[in-house]
Amino acid sequence: MSRLKLVASEALRSISANLSTTVAATLTVLIGMFLVGMLVGFTTYARSWGDQQKRKLVVNVFYCTDQTCSKTATAKQMREVEAQLRASPLVKKVTFVSKGQALKEMEKKSPALVENLTSNPLPDAEKVEPVKGEDTPRIAETLKPLPAGVQKVTYGAKTAHKILNIAHLIEVISLAAVIVLLAAATVLIANTIRLSIFSRRREIEIMKLVGASNWFVRGPFMLEGVITGFIGAILAIVLLALGKELVLPSIWFDDTGVHGISFALNALLLVGLGLLLGAAGSALTLRRFLRI
Amino acid sequence: METTSVQTEKPTAVVEQPIVPVEGAPAPSAMIVFDHVTKIYEPHVTALRDASFIIEKGEFVFCVGPSGSGKSTIVRLLLREIDPTSGRVIVGGRDIGRLRRSKLPQLRRNLGCVFQDFKLLPNRNAYENVAYALKVIGEGTTQIRRKVPEVLSLVGLADKMNSLPDELSGGEQQRVSIARAVVNHPPLLVCDEPTGNLDPDTSVGIMQLLYRINRLGTTVLMVTHDREMVDKMRRRVIALDEGVVTRDERRGGYTAE
Repeated sequence: MSRLKLVASEALRSISANLSTTVAATLTVLIGMFLVGMLVGFTTYARSWGDQQKRKLVVNVFYCTDQTCSKTATAKQMREVEAQLRASPLVKKVTFVSKGQALKEMEKKSPALVENLTSNPLPDAEKVEPVKGEDTPRIAETLKPLPAGVQKVTYGAKTAHKILNIAHLIEVISLAAVIVLLAAATVLIANTIRLSIFSRRREIEIMKLVGASNWFVRGPFMLEGVITGFIGAILAIVLLALGKELVLPSIWFDDTGVHGISFALNALLLVGLGLLLGAAGSALTLRRFLRI
Repeated sequence: METTSVQTEKPTAVVEQPIVPVEGAPAPSAMIVFDHVTKIYEPHVTALRDASFIIEKGEFVFCVGPSGSGKSTIVRLLLREIDPTSGRVIVGGRDIGRLRRSKLPQLRRNLGCVFQDFKLLPNRNAYENVAYALKVIGEGTTQIRRKVPEVLSLVGLADKMNSLPDELSGGEQQRVSIARAVVNHPPLLVCDEPTGNLDPDTSVGIMQLLYRINRLGTTVLMVTHDREMVDKMRRRVIALDEGVVTRDERRGGYTAE
């Protein structure tokens, strides 16, 4: 117990002796953790949003009408198309949308357009939901050449695909940025520990001479690294919490059903990472500069 | 092996027997055995060349020789700061070359060390400097409060316990460092040029102190340049030249007669 106290007091003594470098390391951890926290928040949000977009991806199969083809699709033709779609392993659900339903939906969305219509120009259609959002083009492909009675097949959402690609890109870039930041923070902690080893080399020499155990010599430095990582992470969490409460509401659009990682989980992750960085940073230096 | 208290004076334990070259198992009473030790610093500096000698428990031994003759290498080998290129270094019956790294602190606790530059912590006073040595090996507060004043009065600094190293003379600083080295009652005290930075009068005081510690039962190995001291003391002398043991006399002088 008293040795723990001694290790702790040595660590504190060393931190206050190398205050400027310790502050620098803490700030790096802070910046790193802040960005990591933000990126984790954004990435999980982007992923959740992307998932939702994928759910919106459907294939629309429009049947022939008098206006579009020469003659309206027959009920038999529709059944055959429907059966073909249902048989596909890529398809999750096929819903028939009658022209009447389609008109009603349109009325709801844009009443001005419907107002002047004398008859219903809309075709009957099938709404095909895929198992995976990415598969919509392949489903559309199965309907080529167009079966009898089908006027056209759309899987519209080209933009949605672009957005999915962008979401994926964001994920990859964030991951790379996180890795770089973590590496930078680790190296800076390692450097801080090295400086503090350097400034305390006399004490270390004496500790070795009088036979302090290796862990006793290492202890204060490891603790110093861990404290630096921990404080940096805590400060980053405080900043993130402030940002979440103050800045986010004013710029965020509310999209129900889309959620990033919960803040508490994110914070826990950051603290864990901070401690890990501190330990890794000091271990890195201790191995190289503290042969005992 | 340890004296329980520094107050219990023991008679001088110099063993009067011829020094035999090491063959096979060392004598059980040997404190230090160098068994055909060679140390080559890369790339090609030979600091010690096939050095063999035995130092018995309770002996007081001078190790002399010009700069670069391998004296400091002996100290560093004893502390196992370095490993010999070949041969064995045996301290207290244990081949320290085969000691695991994690056991090194145990070795160093049984081996007091005094250096030319004192190696005191500048921001701690005499008491704290000695107490530090006990603290880092996990000694309890009660023991520290008992042992530190005791050893400081042994070295004659009972009234300077609260002085910082800056406020002490060179001789006094060396006394603090000797106090720190012997506060654990190590069976072996290794001194690397302890009087190298001190004037002759002060050196005599330090020598007398070391002699006294030796009489309390501690084996003392002293590496030195101090010709006058060695000639005056007439103790065992191991002389080195270019890494070779050139002379080992029971009651020698600095140079061969």
